[in-house]
Amino acid sequence: MGLAQNVIFGLVTGSYIAIAAIGFTLIYGIVNMINFAYGEYLTMGAFIGILTVGVLPLPLPLAAVVAMVGGGLISLLLARLFFTPINQTGPVPMLLTSIGLGLVLRNGIRLTAGQSARYFDTEAITFRFDGLPPLSVGSVDLLGGFFVTSEQLIVMGCAVGVFLLVHTLLTRTDVGIAMRAMGDNENLARVRGIDTQRIRDSVWVLAGVLAALAGVLLGIQTNVSAGTGFSQILQILSAAILGGAGSPYGAIAGSYVIGLVLALSTAFLPAGMTGISSAIAFLILIGVLLVKPSGLAGQEVREA
Amino acid sequence: MSVRERLFGDGERSGGSAERAFLVGGVCLLVAALLVFTPLAVTVPGSSFVFIEVGTLFVIYGLLVLGLDLQYGYTGLVNFGHVVFFAVGAYTVAMLSAEGSFAGVALGLPWLLALPVGVVAAAVLGAIVGTTSLRLRDDFLAIVTLATAEIFHTLFVNFRGVFGGNVGILGVPQPIADLAADSDTAQIATLVLFGGVTIIALGFMTRLTGSPYGRVLRAIRADELVTRSVGKSTFSYKMQAFVYGAALAGFAGGLFALYNGAVAPGFFTIQVTVTIWIGMLLGGASNHRAVLGGLAIIMGLRLLSRFALEVTPVSADAFASIRLIAVGLILVLVIRYRPAGIWGDERELGVDS
Repeated sequence: MGLAQNVIFGLVTGSYIAIAAIGFTLIYGIVNMINFAYGEYLTMGAFIGILTVGVLPLPLPLAAVVAMVGGGLISLLLARLFFTPINQTGPVPMLLTSIGLGLVLRNGIRLTAGQSARYFDTEAITFRFDGLPPLSVGSVDLLGGFFVTSEQLIVMGCAVGVFLLVHTLLTRTDVGIAMRAMGDNENLARVRGIDTQRIRDSVWVLAGVLAALAGVLLGIQTNVSAGTGFSQILQILSAAILGGAGSPYGAIAGSYVIGLVLALSTAFLPAGMTGISSAIAFLILIGVLLVKPSGLAGQEVREA
Repeated sequence: MSVRERLFGDGERSGGSAERAFLVGGVCLLVAALLVFTPLAVTVPGSSFVFIEVGTLFVIYGLLVLGLDLQYGYTGLVNFGHVVFFAVGAYTVAMLSAEGSFAGVALGLPWLLALPVGVVAAAVLGAIVGTTSLRLRDDFLAIVTLATAEIFHTLFVNFRGVFGGNVGILGVPQPIADLAADSDTAQIATLVLFGGVTIIALGFMTRLTGSPYGRVLRAIRADELVTRSVGKSTFSYKMQAFVYGAALAGFAGGLFALYNGAVAPGFFTIQVTVTIWIGMLLGGASNHRAVLGGLAIIMGLRLLSRFALEVTPVSADAFASIRLIAVGLILVLVIRYRPAGIWGDERELGVDS
């Protein structure tokens, strides 16, 4: 496989990480917590979607909408139950609470849905582009033909749609502008008469909707099991921090960097070492935190 | 206040319990030595093996939680990758001392040499992580340490030639099992010996944190800026606490390797970190005996679920899930309703409940 093909794989991975990372980074910026249970929101969204397709027989796009609505409601409910009451205690207790909640959700899902992996039964159409000539440098093919499936196009298309919608929300609507104001300075926002609790609730709903969509896309593209969300959370987190925690646009950029690094390192590392590609993503994360802790765009996270 | 009181203050009061810990720990070591070096043998009823097994793991994790408490409970460093120091200690000792492992490096050096090298390796890693990331904000330090642990886990799994992949390193010497009369005696001797080591570590920690040095650590946790403004180099204090904790975890890892006879990535998952964190928070951070108590409760739950497994009709998998749900709920409830833990001091930790 050539470089072109792996870039496509990277863009697909980056797309669903980006959708989830926007939600993650909004929670970070506005509720001021690292939500470690966020991966489980993806899993729940995907399972709601699979359940809707399987039991109700609804077509997939409708099932995705059901999953997104369900994800938003669950996210709001969990926030009201677990995070809102301890909002004032600072980032560390909230991080620890989310770790506990993640354990509960993950094992709850495992208990009810079992260990096996599920997926959406879709018919993929594959578009091939074999016209490109290979451009070999040593054993590495720098161009080469590639293919793209309709599923991959759906994932990338959804991502672009989400970016546009989130951008419109944050710049054109009152709620979105209030979100940005709160992320910037919560006290000042409250002084200006913004109902901060209502904004926080809407952030939770938005994050839940995005997580559910990312989960459904993950289920379309590959498959989901009880552990899927947890295996994604470190990548989502890396992407969000890489882009500068709290900045949705940074998160999008960070996600595609992570996605491309994962895909390219899997392709071009010597066989037998492909498993370390996730370690490379974390290495980038640590490197960014050490060199430019504010990420590609964002605020200072160093104390001294 | 007399001069003597002013000089020793806290140190004097905690000094008593530290000496008691040294005494009890010393007696444990003596008993263990008796069991190992004399033909003395004990028999254990088969049903209590599970107690000894979990008990031995508890005293090893006890060393981890003591080190973590020095870092988080006293100094306020949110280290969410404590397992990596445990793993590095264990792997270093295993790779240096193993003979004829199935895969990976096995140098066959004497274990007495390997153990201190394991401690040093963990301390060096602690120093590297510390220099680079102790200046980060609390929650980001948690992320960096967590990511470090995940990176090492990935390396252990993927570099089969060095670390033996998923199988790990086999053929690590088990000195106690080799010396003791039979396997029952060896198990008891291991438990008593490691228990003694943990109690002595408890004594050292009590001494350390009861001294003026410990007061500086607590001051850093309470307010770093104030501590720096009275002329303490807070960074080097934080660094020392971090490295001490890492070294202690490396030591625990070495003991684990020499007890278990093998190391594999499966022993060093994020689950270990979560277990000791929950134990620490449940008992009450910044109180050495409390964190051990909290850890005992969490690991006791593991024991309980093993027995419950025999009388209930659910599968082992389902039961493991139920236990983890319970552990997660405990963590959530403790942070919400008893942020200082069961035996912790609310004023000391600066939290409201």
